[in-house]
Amino acid sequence: MTRRRRALDGLEEDIREHLERETRDNIERGMSPADARAAALRKFGNVALVEEETRAVWRRPWLDQLLQDLRFAFRVLRRDPAFTAVAILTLAVGIGLNTAVFSVVNSVLLRPLNYPHPERLVWLGDYDTFVHRDMVMLSDFAGWRAHARSYNAMASFSYRQIAVANSRGAFPVGAVLVGGDFWAVTGAHPGLGRLFGPNETNTLVLSWDLFQRQFGADPRAIGSAVTVDGRAATIAGVLPKGFRFQFPRWWTAQHPEPVEAYLAIDQSDPKIRGRGGQAVASLKPGATIPQALAELNSIQRHLHPPRPGQPAPQNRLHIDALLDQLTGSAHRALAVLLAAGALLLLMASVNIASLLLARASARRRELAIRLAVGAGRLRALRQLLVESLALALLGGAAGLLLARWAIALLVRLGPQSIPRLDEASIDIRVLVFTVCISVAAGILFGVTPGLALWRVELHDALKEGARSSGGVFGLRIRRVLVGAEMALAVVLMTGAGLLFASFLRMNARPAGFAPERVLLLKIRLAGTQSNPAAQQGYRNELLRRLGSVPGVESAGISTQFGFSGAPAFPNDPSPTQTHVLHLNAASPGYFRAIGMQLREGRWLSDADQGGVVMLNESMAREAFGAVDPIGRSLSAPQPAVVVGVLADLRYSHLDADAPPEVFLPFPNRMTLGFDVAIRAASPPGVMPAIRREMAAIDPTVPAYDVKTLDRALADSIAPQRFNLFLLGTFAASAFVLALVGIYGVIAYSVAARTREIGVRVALGAGRGDVVGLVLREGMAVALAGIAAGLAAALALTRLMASLLYGVQATDPRIFAATASTLAITASLASWRPARKAAAIHPIVALRDE
Amino acid sequence: MSTKDESARVELLQGTLDLLILRTLAPGPAHGHAIAKAIERQSEDVLQVEQGSLYPALHRLIKRGWIAAEEGVSENNRRAKFYRLTAKGRKQLHLETTRWEKLARAIARILKPAEESSS
Repeated sequence: MTRRRRALDGLEEDIREHLERETRDNIERGMSPADARAAALRKFGNVALVEEETRAVWRRPWLDQLLQDLRFAFRVLRRDPAFTAVAILTLAVGIGLNTAVFSVVNSVLLRPLNYPHPERLVWLGDYDTFVHRDMVMLSDFAGWRAHARSYNAMASFSYRQIAVANSRGAFPVGAVLVGGDFWAVTGAHPGLGRLFGPNETNTLVLSWDLFQRQFGADPRAIGSAVTVDGRAATIAGVLPKGFRFQFPRWWTAQHPEPVEAYLAIDQSDPKIRGRGGQAVASLKPGATIPQALAELNSIQRHLHPPRPGQPAPQNRLHIDALLDQLTGSAHRALAVLLAAGALLLLMASVNIASLLLARASARRRELAIRLAVGAGRLRALRQLLVESLALALLGGAAGLLLARWAIALLVRLGPQSIPRLDEASIDIRVLVFTVCISVAAGILFGVTPGLALWRVELHDALKEGARSSGGVFGLRIRRVLVGAEMALAVVLMTGAGLLFASFLRMNARPAGFAPERVLLLKIRLAGTQSNPAAQQGYRNELLRRLGSVPGVESAGISTQFGFSGAPAFPNDPSPTQTHVLHLNAASPGYFRAIGMQLREGRWLSDADQGGVVMLNESMAREAFGAVDPIGRSLSAPQPAVVVGVLADLRYSHLDADAPPEVFLPFPNRMTLGFDVAIRAASPPGVMPAIRREMAAIDPTVPAYDVKTLDRALADSIAPQRFNLFLLGTFAASAFVLALVGIYGVIAYSVAARTREIGVRVALGAGRGDVVGLVLREGMAVALAGIAAGLAAALALTRLMASLLYGVQATDPRIFAATASTLAITASLASWRPARKAAAIHPIVALRDE
Repeated sequence: MSTKDESARVELLQGTLDLLILRTLAPGPAHGHAIAKAIERQSEDVLQVEQGSLYPALHRLIKRGWIAAEEGVSENNRRAKFYRLTAKGRKQLHLETTRWEKLARAIARILKPAEESSS
């Protein structure tokens, strides 16, 4: 309790007690009780007034003054509603965008993981050059877990869509196959049932949501038997409602749905040990990452001793803090966004400073009067600051409303690859951030006009019509500020323009490709089709039935895999040069379904069993150079004769050129999983019939990841689209702010120079001369800003080279388009004030001042 | 407003009231009513004060740190606030008393001849 509170506490009681004593004394003196009471009250005086005066003793004068300043500030803001609305709106945009971006930063980068001791959690990575991400061989993982001493717990997981079947039917679920001490790393406790131990196999743990959705929250499901991909498994338990899978998910671009099931895998099964997965661990207290890495490296050398005659296996192990690994890719994008947001808020503040400067000139006399009647300069300056802070906080409040809406939009549009984006919200940290930037902006735009007014000379300001000296001072600052805004707009617009050009290049597609008419789905055969003959039978039956579905033009299957090695292509300078090859085994219908174009030779046909391949153009170039590849032989990786060349087509990723690719015949391949492509006039229209046909072959095999190729391609550039959306929003805001800025400064300049222009017109200047005068002034500011912006953009856009596709970071067309757009719109923004200046009547102008 | 005979009543200057409170509290703590009574009694009802104006004065003194308020129990067993002099207040009382005495002596010296001539 403060001294003040303590002292005032019980004041009423004290006074009441006083009055009672006095009344009692009076009664003792022989008065009647009523008279005694009245006399006591009379003697005491006005009780309410006494209380008021007593409280007044404790009142803080600065608080009173502040309240007074605030009241005055709100009066001033109300007096000029147009200005206030524009200023609040401008600030709301600036502060709202920053708040939204910060809430994302807060949720993605700053909030700790929901697992115990998040600071000890690490990512164990083994970079795989073929898939371009970390992939740990599960056999290596088993070795690490058995021998490493730096860890409390170590777990592996690999994503898989599994088909869970019970008596009610089969459904696909996004799952991870986990090994090691997964539950120890996550610190999870069962919500229902139990969690499986490190040595159990074929045991399933469900997420709370899945348990509700697919099992109707029926507790009898716990401990019941189900089939997972055709194998028998048991449901051990259900996770609590709040548990989330928070490890890095490389698969989110293709599989955005959450991880809802955890399957214990048999780590002793050699087939499983040969697979890849991801590894995480919890370090022992005191263990450091370098120590842990050194230990892991030595174990790895032990697991893979160098073999004579072969190059030593390359070691790409690395250990990162889990949070860094999780946010690594989002880090840079968020830094760019924060910087863009800061620039935008700076521009908004500059605009308001500019508006306030204009107003400050009008208020010089008010200020001068206040100074003349004895207000201190500091007090006057504080009044101005309080006004700007009030404005800033109002803008901040409006910004918060805007941010709530923007966050919802960001969460909806944001790519799944940004981890934990969906948790973004306005919490106390975000609120503090918003208040801080609002206050900072308020001080920023409040100090500038304050400084201009600081120089107010009483005598000059009080003189009638004297407004030039302070006005010119303010005008010069404002020109510089608006030039800076133009420069910022150029930088942001150039960046957005480059992203937009890349986006167009990415979406450019050859004639006849029509990916919106291609339906993709994935199939993974369950254990019942464990032998190649049964698989072959399933595939043949599937293709036969798909071909008979009305509306299907062509259908095919494919499976893609990789090869990395030295296949010794004819074009190689040395036979040991290594290549990374994309291999795609496909049935003949697949090429037609996707919409590939034949350049030379012939298509693969049903008669081809092996020994023949088709190449895409990149592959043909890489392997044979300028030589015609048809009829030539190639080791890819088995020896085969090239029978055809396909046009390069970006049919899986839009953000990179088609990689060199080899197409092989499909038959007799032992593979449980494969992709199906179906070309149809209306993909959604044929899907029910396709599901019916699939159920007719085997009801336990569901179709995964059903989407059109168009959609899959759009998803492949979701992060780029998101970047474009964000930077585009920022650039558009910057553009508008810069134009408002230049309009404001020119309009004000015209108003300040009314008399001068009147004199010019009186001396014979024509309308054209006046318009030219004003336009020249506007364009001088705009062009200087644009030139500075182009120089800055040239330096800054290089940093975003990695985000671009098919466009140089210094593409002169984008720079020219940005510069001319701004120049033209800036001249339009100056046009209105110029017209107004031209309409000035000399007599009115000279009399008016 | 008091309805007492106006001529007998001397408006207390703010500083005077403060000094009187300090003086009243010098022997020991007292509650608000007791302070008011004591002042009235000691000044033989000449210095008539609206009892209410005591309270802003008390709080002014608390704020300055010259007196302190304490929760206590009055003789009839009720919760009451007791005011007591602090060490700082005692020093202040001494200072003010000396100053007052000086002033009073000076005024008395000025007024005495006039009194003699008028009688």
